[in-house]
Amino acid sequence: MTSAILQAINGVSLAALLFLLASGFTLSFGLMRVVNMAHGAYYLLGGYVGLSVARATGSFALALLCGGLAVVVLGYLVDRFLIRRTGENHLAQVLLTVGVAFVIGDVALKIWGGDFLKVPVPVSLRGAMELPGGLVYPTYRFVLILFGAAVGALLWVVYRKTQIGAVVRAGVDDREQVSATGINVDRLFVMVSALASFLAGMAGVAGGAFLLLYPGAEWEILVYALVVVIVGGLGSLGGAMIGALVVGLLDAYGRWLLPEFSYFVLFAPMALLLLIRPRGISGKDV
Amino acid sequence: MDRTRIAVLLAVLAAGLALPFAAGPFWMGLVTQMYIFGLLALSTDLLLGHAGLFSLCHASFFAVAAYTTAILQVRYGVPTALAAPAGLFAGTLLAAVFGLAVRTRGVYFILVTLALGYVVWGVAHRWSSFTGGDNGVTDVPFPAVGPLAIGSHTGYYYLVLAVIVACALGYRVLVRSPFGLSLRGIKASESRMKSLGYRTGLHLYAAFVLSGALASLAGVLYVYYNRFVNPVAGSFPVSVEAVLMAIIGGTGTVVGPFLGAGVILGLRNWVSSFFELYAAVMGIVFVATVLWAPDGIMGLAARVRAARPRAVRA
Amino acid sequence: MSEAAIQIGALSKEFGGLRAVDGVTLSVGAGERRALIGPNGAGKTTLFHCITGTLRPSSGTVRLFGREVTRLAEHRRTALGMSRTFQISNVFAALTALENLTLALLGTDRRKWIVYRPIGAFAALRRRALDGLERVGLGHRAHDAVRELSYGERRQLELALALNSNPRVLLLDEPCAGLSPAERQRISQMIATLPREITLVMIEHDMDVALRLADRVTVLHRGRVILEGTPGEVQASPEVREVYFGHV
Repeated sequence: MTSAILQAINGVSLAALLFLLASGFTLSFGLMRVVNMAHGAYYLLGGYVGLSVARATGSFALALLCGGLAVVVLGYLVDRFLIRRTGENHLAQVLLTVGVAFVIGDVALKIWGGDFLKVPVPVSLRGAMELPGGLVYPTYRFVLILFGAAVGALLWVVYRKTQIGAVVRAGVDDREQVSATGINVDRLFVMVSALASFLAGMAGVAGGAFLLLYPGAEWEILVYALVVVIVGGLGSLGGAMIGALVVGLLDAYGRWLLPEFSYFVLFAPMALLLLIRPRGISGKDV
Repeated sequence: MDRTRIAVLLAVLAAGLALPFAAGPFWMGLVTQMYIFGLLALSTDLLLGHAGLFSLCHASFFAVAAYTTAILQVRYGVPTALAAPAGLFAGTLLAAVFGLAVRTRGVYFILVTLALGYVVWGVAHRWSSFTGGDNGVTDVPFPAVGPLAIGSHTGYYYLVLAVIVACALGYRVLVRSPFGLSLRGIKASESRMKSLGYRTGLHLYAAFVLSGALASLAGVLYVYYNRFVNPVAGSFPVSVEAVLMAIIGGTGTVVGPFLGAGVILGLRNWVSSFFELYAAVMGIVFVATVLWAPDGIMGLAARVRAARPRAVRA
Repeated sequence: MSEAAIQIGALSKEFGGLRAVDGVTLSVGAGERRALIGPNGAGKTTLFHCITGTLRPSSGTVRLFGREVTRLAEHRRTALGMSRTFQISNVFAALTALENLTLALLGTDRRKWIVYRPIGAFAALRRRALDGLERVGLGHRAHDAVRELSYGERRQLELALALNSNPRVLLLDEPCAGLSPAERQRISQMIATLPREITLVMIEHDMDVALRLADRVTVLHRGRVILEGTPGEVQASPEVREVYFGHV
């Protein structure tokens, strides 16, 4: 029984991480109709940059910030000079961003090498903590849940309750409508894109502290994020939250109960969803 | 087909037949790979160039076929006559299952196939007791059916060439058939096809399974060439490169995917000999193709032909 | 008494809070020429979508020659003889005109599944496709890509596609929309000479065309049927005039 609960917490902590990554991806698509397959590479690059910063300064907070910012800069360049030239051609976007991801991955390999690297956990969050019920759980991963929840709550509030969130939501539903109201759509896109990049880079640092960073990790995490987005529906923030929980929990239980088939456990519900409701839980029309 | 085209193809075929004697074993090996990966690229193009579906999981069928054949031959001593068809069958069966993906369209289809592609790779990786994990399955013998046994790489080269030519001819008929036209109709306007009486979902499913069968055949050819298979064969880069090969060579054609395979394999071979970041170079090729040559080589050739004054038809 | 070609019973279609079609009941006899008219937003195209299966009605029934087809998939209705044109030309732009017609002909033909023979080998099929093009005046464009065709030519092709999918009931959604007077004349002439084996229901904004071609006219306004009668009756009706032109 304790194991089951521990796995649940594992699942939720992974969900927190996946939500950070998937929310940016899904909003990018919903608002800008952009499929950015380099998101996983952004995660990895952010993680590596954060790692170097943490090693140099000893500050995890600074690492998070730098990891996020590095990706914001790179993401902006990729958007402005590459992705923008593909219009709404999803095929072209996928191939282009996969190419970008290959470049990032290889350059990262050259700079940081092929070993499994770990972002140092901040001293205050090391070790384990005691949870109600007598369970002992790594402090860092538990705090990550709180962090993910906080970011989720913040995004939700901004998305649902503020004017700027209303503009983004309107844009997700109908872009022409938004540009007709005179709001600077370009600037909005850049902001949302920057947010998505920042979250991805930050997720890399956060994830790098317990999932490790290594060549290939960018694709593994991307696939998880994509399943989240498929299950939750492209363009839906709420869907990303639900999807992240589903994927996180399935992964935790899958690894525990059927370690050799854990990928299968992960994708079976996606297959099931395809049978019943191809559009995901709350996806917008593609 | 007009005379020039036939002449060109015959010349190419002659070159292909003469290759093992004209060039050394290195080139022969490279061209064999071009045939095999060209076939894989062709399989993705049935979906992309004709039905308009961008699949990122075809390496799965390739790998499942390769693993099935390898495991049967190596571990259970099953002869080629059974192991090869079994591999083909296993890959096609997986395609029949993954074909569920055609319940989605557009971006969703791309994402779903990408995720599905990871299932096979993941299983190949983690189920090491059966698949050999990262080490894969080694010591796959040359194929042998009764008295006909391949004894050398040269012999295998000709076998692959024969299979590829047969496939290309069959594929050509397929895409010119009523079924092939129906796929292009679906790509052009699925709503109109439905209104004309076509069960579009079923057509797309059939195309998916057919393309999976082609990819599986490529996988069987691959495992006898490579004599070994590991999870990399089913990995995402293999799937996405197959599509890129089709695009670089020219989608919607029979020859294009093979040309594209030649370009990619040749480029990789050449670059990796002096530059270690060749994956980055591949990435740049992706970007460049998308931005500057979306119609590929065959597209360029078509544009050149269109620019020339047309000969008067009798 | 012969059964009606199309029978619609209390059909409604809602989008969110909006009732695009509101309790429409109508019956079109076999071989009849019915015009469906009404101002913009009356729900005519939505009604068509429900009849052909593009949309599922929120409530009500659709019957084709007595057979209930309300929940039947679009391609199955086509197999039963229902065919339609689209208000905005929905043709295969990337293919040639000949290929367009070929697809229309094969839609209700089992041979669409053949994988082992090239389409060029089906000589009779090709002949029929060329005939189909010639009948709408597009024979000379057979090998041109449709994206190179003019707007008027695409409308002609649009009609040709529907005519060649073996229809017993043909639903035409504004066949003359956006055409020059000469093109209009040509299309309405084509429609007028269609055999009586085909039942015709036509949405048309051009009153002249509609009233000239139709046996009976159904007038829709805000999703409801407000009048049904002969062209003469409809033309004389004050309610219809009010709906179109405001208070008289």
